[in-house]
Amino acid sequence: MATAPHTWLRLVPSCRSYSKATRLHKIDYPWKDEPKPHWVRQFEARRVDADLTPENRDWLRQWRLQRVRDAVASSSEAAAAASPLKEPPAARPLWTPRVSQRCGLVGIKLGILPMWYRNGQKVHTTVVQIPDQRVLRWVPPEDLGNYASLREMRPYRLNQSFLPRWLTQQRWGLQLVGAVPADPANFTAQWCGIFKAAGLPPMRKISRFLVSPDASLQPGACLGLHHFRVGDCVDVVARTVNRGFQGVMERHLMEGGPAAHGSTKFHRKMGSAAGGGGPIYRGKRMPGVMGNRFRAARSLPVLRVNTKHRLLFIKGFTPGPPHSYCQIMDSWMLDVRRSLDANPPPMPTYFAEDAPEGGYPEDVYHPDLLPYDQPLELPD
Amino acid sequence: CFSCQHPARDATSAISSSWQLRPVPGLQVPLRLPSDRRPPVRRFACPASIAAASAAASPAVPPGPPLAPAGIARVYKPRLSPEAMKEFWRLSGIGPDHSRAKAADQQAEVPPEIKRLYQEALPPIVSQDYRDPIVESLHRAEMMRRRRVINIPEFHVGSILAVSVMDKHAPNKVNRFVGLCILRRHTGLFTTFTLRNMVDQVCVQIEYELYSPSIVSIQLLKLERRLDDNLLYLMDAPHSHCTIPFDMVPEPYSRNDPVPVNRERVRLNPPPWMCKWHLHGYQGIDLEHLYSYLSDKDVAKAIEFSKAYKRYDLLDQYLNRVPVPDADYAFKDIFIQHQELLQHQQQQQ
Repeated sequence: MATAPHTWLRLVPSCRSYSKATRLHKIDYPWKDEPKPHWVRQFEARRVDADLTPENRDWLRQWRLQRVRDAVASSSEAAAAASPLKEPPAARPLWTPRVSQRCGLVGIKLGILPMWYRNGQKVHTTVVQIPDQRVLRWVPPEDLGNYASLREMRPYRLNQSFLPRWLTQQRWGLQLVGAVPADPANFTAQWCGIFKAAGLPPMRKISRFLVSPDASLQPGACLGLHHFRVGDCVDVVARTVNRGFQGVMERHLMEGGPAAHGSTKFHRKMGSAAGGGGPIYRGKRMPGVMGNRFRAARSLPVLRVNTKHRLLFIKGFTPGPPHSYCQIMDSWMLDVRRSLDANPPPMPTYFAEDAPEGGYPEDVYHPDLLPYDQPLELPD
Repeated sequence: CFSCQHPARDATSAISSSWQLRPVPGLQVPLRLPSDRRPPVRRFACPASIAAASAAASPAVPPGPPLAPAGIARVYKPRLSPEAMKEFWRLSGIGPDHSRAKAADQQAEVPPEIKRLYQEALPPIVSQDYRDPIVESLHRAEMMRRRRVINIPEFHVGSILAVSVMDKHAPNKVNRFVGLCILRRHTGLFTTFTLRNMVDQVCVQIEYELYSPSIVSIQLLKLERRLDDNLLYLMDAPHSHCTIPFDMVPEPYSRNDPVPVNRERVRLNPPPWMCKWHLHGYQGIDLEHLYSYLSDKDVAKAIEFSKAYKRYDLLDQYLNRVPVPDADYAFKDIFIQHQELLQHQQQQQ
């Protein structure tokens, strides 16, 4: 490792008793809140080439963007379907109950649109746009230890007291997905090198999903809008809205103090931090930055798919502000996974051969949803 | 030397450079007049400074290349032409020219009836982070799709409407309510309006979602406008102001005429009130009658509030207005879909 732990590691003072306080220890390290891969610098100060005239600079930029577009188009599903020289794809894996776990999609949350059900009930849908994305890499379950070992700095890494199941069971591997291709001049050469091995243009966002080996995808595979069907229940994982530095009443819903009746300077405070003579345990709820943490909204059905703008309309509300990235994956809730066994989704992902005859219409609605150009008919 | 810090050549320079003249016997000392208090600065030339002056006067070496590349002033210090500045002030929505200098071509493209009919097509007034053009265009498209099913008339706060909604418990499966529109808020598909009326001597206010599919029909009984954006103060007014008969006959109106303004001023009931009506700038309340209920301090506060200082608050105007280009784009989009809607209605007939 480039940085030695003893220079940046800060741990709770040693406490041998096996109480809840000791289990709540957190480790602070320099790359704690940085998105992965934090060991690769994504952006750098743009070089200003004084010898280049503005016209040549613009021409070169258009040339770079055209190369990005060509790379994206050549690896798209349309190209794969149209090319006569390409080898036919290998036999597609079948959905295995209780084993298969597909890859997910990277989405951009746009906003909220209200819709109505056919029984007159209102439902709020989150509009999520699915940008251009490609599979970057597949890390099989056997290699998880090597991949995650020194870079997953979590409490369990130091004393190996407790390891998460996805690391110990080795049922799932990591599928790295890149989204939103962009101008290579925006990024460092190191960041572009990550995509070079897969033959892809550099992208702004890298996400990873826990995927079973039978549903793994090879680098360069295209992930599209129809990976999810109308009616599928999904989990949406994203960073919540950053509320800034907040006090305990807002952050931890503490009571505070009385507003009147002689209360002297005690209206929104925490009060006591610990018992008489005892230490303040790590994890004590105190003021601090609220939000900006990964949270998952579980088991939300997809109610509508718009092919023109590449939109998914997901029931309910998802974490994060508008125009933030989110991960969308088949729901991990058990009832949803059991329902998928009866109605398996396209495995390992959607390909052009799965399209219905005549293609998809611009809008695909859930049967329970009432399109706006149809009148409501309540049953008597 | 004053200029290049060389030591002075002769003693006379030292004496003349100081302004304190010492009397020397036998020397004619000039009278010190007030204008002489500060003698002129005399810079005594030394050979080095003479050489530098001569070099600057006649440069033998040509000047070197410029330190900054050509065009950097254009990039880093852009200069706007007067026309560009004027256009900027027009688009900003604030300033002296924004209300007058509307481009003729834009006026011809979107007729004013569109802005009256589709008030909710305007984008919401929120932070730019929470606005998205795709979502707003989806709202507009769905609004127009709904208008193919039901006719939504033009109405303002102060108009009288009759709304029929689906109700499975009603005898005819339809529930009809007539009321005065006191409030109209939100934008797009979230638009709601509130109707107020007296039913069996009980005040009833019902809020409807304009694009809810459970609304069977919206009938305009009287097209009218009031002096305020909302009529919430009718809650503290005599009930006669919002008593509308359920069997009211619709009054005919013409779309080409301007919307009639009802300039009546309502006399509120004596306090206590639900809200401090004197602090919201309502024009539809009889202010003299209102102030007669208030103490001098409250009246002073109300008068202070009613002062027209807000039109000088640039940040308030910026934050509480829709940017003119966004409004123009929204109305143009709606106008195109409005024409498609008219064609669809003609085909249906």
